[in-house]
Order: sequence, then structure tokens, then C-alpha cells
Amino acid sequence: MLSAIREHLAASMPFDAVHDEHHAEHKANPRISSAVADEQSASPTERFRNALEAVAGHCLMVNDERAAADLVLEILGKINARRIAVSDSLLVKRVMSHVKLDAEILVDASKSELFDCDAGITSAQWGAAETGTLVLEADAERHRLASLVPPVHIALIEADKIRQTLGEVLESLSEQGRDRLSRTVTFITGPSRTSDIELTLAIGVHGPGELFVIIIEGRDK
Amino acid sequence: MDHQTTETFDQNAREALTDEQLRAALRNLVTTFGERRKVAITTVDDWEGLRERARAIKDETLTHLDKYLEEFADNAERAGARVHWARDAREACAIVLKLLRERACEHIVKSKSMATEEIHLNAALEAEGLAPVETDLGEWIIQLAHETPSHIVVPAIHKSKKQIAELFAEKVGIEPTDDVAVLTSTARRVLRQCFAEADAGISGVNFGVAETGTFLILENEGNARLTTSMPKIHIAVMGIEKIIPRLVDLDVFLKLLPRSGTGQRLTSYQSLITGVKKSVDDEGPEEVHIVLMDNGRSRMLSHPVTRQSLACIRCGACLNACPVYQQIGGHAYGSVYPGPIGAVITPQLAGIKKAAQLPYASSLCGACREVCPVKIDIPELLLHLRAEIAEGTTVGTADQKGPVKRKLSEQMAFRLYAFLWSHPSLYNLGTRVARLMQRTVMRNGHIGRVSGFVSKLAPPLGAWTASRDMRAVAPRSFREKWRDGLSGRR
Repeated sequence: MLSAIREHLAASMPFDAVHDEHHAEHKANPRISSAVADEQSASPTERFRNALEAVAGHCLMVNDERAAADLVLEILGKINARRIAVSDSLLVKRVMSHVKLDAEILVDASKSELFDCDAGITSAQWGAAETGTLVLEADAERHRLASLVPPVHIALIEADKIRQTLGEVLESLSEQGRDRLSRTVTFITGPSRTSDIELTLAIGVHGPGELFVIIIEGRDK
Repeated sequence: MDHQTTETFDQNAREALTDEQLRAALRNLVTTFGERRKVAITTVDDWEGLRERARAIKDETLTHLDKYLEEFADNAERAGARVHWARDAREACAIVLKLLRERACEHIVKSKSMATEEIHLNAALEAEGLAPVETDLGEWIIQLAHETPSHIVVPAIHKSKKQIAELFAEKVGIEPTDDVAVLTSTARRVLRQCFAEADAGISGVNFGVAETGTFLILENEGNARLTTSMPKIHIAVMGIEKIIPRLVDLDVFLKLLPRSGTGQRLTSYQSLITGVKKSVDDEGPEEVHIVLMDNGRSRMLSHPVTRQSLACIRCGACLNACPVYQQIGGHAYGSVYPGPIGAVITPQLAGIKKAAQLPYASSLCGACREVCPVKIDIPELLLHLRAEIAEGTTVGTADQKGPVKRKLSEQMAFRLYAFLWSHPSLYNLGTRVARLMQRTVMRNGHIGRVSGFVSKLAPPLGAWTASRDMRAVAPRSFREKWRDGLSGRR
């Protein structure tokens, strides 16, 4: 297959020479898009919240982990959660240690248990303010199913993990180098959605119908 | 279910034009996605710059595709994925089938993938007694209805919610409803069972990153995440043109693709998958297989005009913008890929003989070129393919080659036209004759039904005046006026 590719590329070379002359403007050195200047006056957390709310996600800001725990408890109470899947991240562990709730909390839920969970709780390694996107790395936490299968996803993120753009996050991921890159990285922007029927928006088709992001501004150690 | 093929495009299009429900659905598509896209592209700083950057990245990759493909395959294998090379659709299907057979997989879930549509993977698996389940809502709908996608991004756009409700009532036994939320939650409920049982997941790929061996899947529903996370084996089918060099290049394409496709700033989910999990305790499949598929793509590399077809990122914007697609929808094209991009890649993938009508299914208005996020000059490609058809130097494998038959009368007419127009004295004589002849059929400088009084000219010119008027030859030509001085006094 590679030899076929090389053969065809070689066949194209005489045409390329002619084509390039005709399309000189096409090859003009492209401008590398600069970072978006607007909206940047807003703080990353404010900008994150605006973007997330625009795609029907809920964004809550708290000062410390204890306040985050109170919010988690409130959300879980509201949805009357009996069974909760949590990831193995340290932040989730710390916050959940403050959550006193009469419910089953599963750190390593099996597939069948996951389908029966009322909520999933994870953290996120990065945020992108521009789009309200959470970035979760598999090496940092077991996030793939807890953030996906239960109908409600609660994500905790420390404010200083939020970058302005997804481009900045991609650069950070890239700097890790290919050997340290997590085998799965998931970008999450709002709840699961579809417009496949008459382009009518429906929320929560295969993934969570509700996404709560709790931004923890300060750090209590 | 009627079977429309590219060979019968003309007939298909005529039938589509009389389908009121289809046309209402298309109007909805055009206004909704058209408006959303318009708004979405204003949310980046320099849309034009982004498009140019994207095209430059694609051009760079495609002119060194051998190098980048090898780099991608090496890195993916270092991370534990198995890479398979498929020269054509048959090989790709055989590889997938063998993988499933060897592992005795019975329950197979699929996420939306145009590449697997292209190779008719479901049919190939079904012929061997397997029953893959499509899990994207739109794909599931058309699978239940035994139909094919009519749009690259929204495959069931041709179906009304009433039809979908009736379909669900028949196939999964729900009470008929016109509530989209109920229909959607039905899909969630039924398909969850499939995910729970699945032992294999099959997906497509949006981008493959050479420097890391990572591949990406974009989606909104979460079914691709389930497909690639829950079963023990994941098979990703990927066209060889999906490669980009660097992880940071994704920034450009993640800005362009959702905005162009659905008018979103970003789709709900992107999964970046690099090889297989590191330890048994990690989440995810035990095996990840990547099927790199050529299926006619490498042929397109052999000329800069055709090569740009491989820059396509399958956003569907050209479909939504095309005045032809807007009227007839996707099925009329009779091909997996419809619309302007379908009209250029179908003849190149399937052979021009099979799809000789498609490059003519365009008014060359250029709307597709204007919206294309990677600046593919589709009109240029259409003309290139038309020239190949006319000259008989067609693309395709040996058995697909050979001139496409044109009508002798048409050939003669164009030869006569070329002869007259390249000889000034004959041309002048021609215009004088035309002026005399047109007197009987002309009114107010026009010939035809609207402003003239004849309803139709005799064939073949009648084909033109059937739907619009023709301007009559002017009483005096510019050259005559010029010769006499433009005021006409001298």
C-alpha cells in the first residue's frame, strides 16, 4: 500500500510543478491564527462558566473543597442518588471524604453496577475556558465510564487548571511527549446531545443528561 | 425499499423533487445548519486564516503521506494497537471479519462511521451471520428502516419524527408519540442493553495524529465513547487520508469541523485514543485494532487537483450549501457520499463509469468552495472530472477505465460549435443568420415562455427554454458598434 502511495505521489510531480505556478496564491504562507483576543478580558473561570452554560451545562464556583462537598451533597440529594460511581482521583477522594450520605459509593464499579448508578463523580485534569471543555486523562484517573454511563456527571476542577483555550491544553498534552501521553484522553463539553430527529435538540441520549462542573477556586490543604 | 444507484441519478433527482416531505426536511436542514454555521464562524478570530492553515497542514501531509502513515502506524503499534493495511473494501471487511471470528465475537456495537458505510461493512458482516448494531441515533434509525444515510452528519435527515415514531412502534414496540425526547430515551434504553452485552466495538476515525499514533473520534451522543470503552475489543476503520502530523494541529481542525458541520463551537465529546490500556486494571478494551484503508484513495494522490479530495474532513457543509443537494437530498446521488463532495469522490472511488452523471450534478455556483473549511476547490474538481469523462482519460482501476459514452449528436454539435466560434467570418455569418431566424420566436429581446411567446424551442435547445428564457442575439453586435464609432454616428 505504501508503495502504491509513493508511486502515485511520484506520478503527480510533473503536474504539481505546473499547478503550483497557477495556484501561487494558494500556497501563500498561511497566517497562523493568533489567540482569540476578545472575551479574554474575562477571567478563565468566568469565561469557562459562560461557555459551559451556553451548551446547557451547570457551572458552580466554590472557594474550597469543603464547600464543593456541600454542593455535591446537595446535588446528590436532589436527584435522590442511591448509588454513585466515583473515579479514583485524589481530588474526588478528598471531596468525598466530607460528603456524608446514606448511599452506596463505588470506586471500582463493574459494568453492570455502572448501568445502575444514579451519578458519576470525577475530577478533570484541564479545562478550556473558550469552549467550557473538561479534559480528563486516563493516567490521572479512571474516568472513562464514571463520566459517561450514569445519567448525571459531577466534575470537580481546580480553578488553576483552567486554560484560556483548547489549543493551550493541546500544547500541554503535546509537551508530555508521546510516551507519557495517556492512552485515552477525553474532552467533555456539556451533556450528551443529539439532533438526529428533525434536527430537534434532545439532551442525554447515550451519555449523561446533566453535567455539573464545580470549580474550586482556592486550595485548602 | 427502492434501490437508487448513481447510474440512475437523473431519474432519482426527478423523483426526489416530487417528494414534499423530503423537501420540507431539506429546507429545515438548510436554514438550521446554515444559520448556525454562520453564527459559529464568527466566534473565531480569523476564520479565513484557519481555513488556510488547515489546508496547508493537509497539503503537507498528503504530499508526504507515505512518511506520515508509517510514522502513525509505528507510534500506534508502540502504544500497543495493532495496525492492519487494507488495499480495498474487500480486504478491509475481511480483516474486520477475521478479527471478530477469531475472538468468537457475537455482540457487536458500532458508532457512526462513513468509512464503514463506504465499504458496506454491515452487509459483509451480516452475510456471515453477524448482526452489528448501529448506536448513533440517526444510524440506528436507518438501520431499523433498512435504509442508507442521506447526509454525512445527520444520516436520517430525510425521515420525519412521525415516520421514526411509527418505525420504533413497529420494531421496538413503543406507543406512537411525537415527542422527540421519548424517541431519544427509547434509543438510550434499547441500546444500553446492546452496550452491556457487546464483546466488540467498531468505530470510524476523524483524525489520526502521526507523531503520537493517537486517533480521535468526535461525537455528541456518547455512543462512540461507549463503543470504544465497554467491549473487550475495539476496531477502528480509518481512511488513509485522516492523518495529520502533530497533536497541536488538532487545534485548527477542532475549531473548523464542528463549526462547519453542525454550527457548534465544539461537539460534546472528543476521544483521543493512543494504543491500548497500559495495565489490566485500566479501563478500556484489551485490544485496539486500526484498519488503515486505501480503497481508491492513493490514486487521487497522482494529480494536485484530485489530491485535494483527500483533504476533506467530512463536515457536510458543502451538502447544506449546495443548491442541488438542497432540492434533491442525499439518496438521489445513489452513492454513500452525496452532495458536492460526493459528486467528486464517488467517481474517483467507485470508478467514473459507475458515476459519470455525478460530476454534472452541479451548477458550478461555487457555494461548496466558499463553505469548505479546508478550501477544497470542488468546482475545479468537477470540471477536471468532466474533462476526463469527455476525453476518455478516466480515473479508476483498469476495469473501470475507458471513455464514457457520449451521444454522437452532442459530440458533433460541440465540434461544430468550436469550429464556428474559432473562425471569425463564419461566426459573423452565424450571428446574422441567427438574427434573421429569431425574429419569429423573439419578444422583448428574449426567447422563451416567460417574456417571449413560444413555449419551447425545438430540441435540443428546448431543454434550455423549458425552464428559463434565452436572450436573443442583439440587433447590432459590439464589434459593429465599435466599427461605426460607439455613438453610432461615424
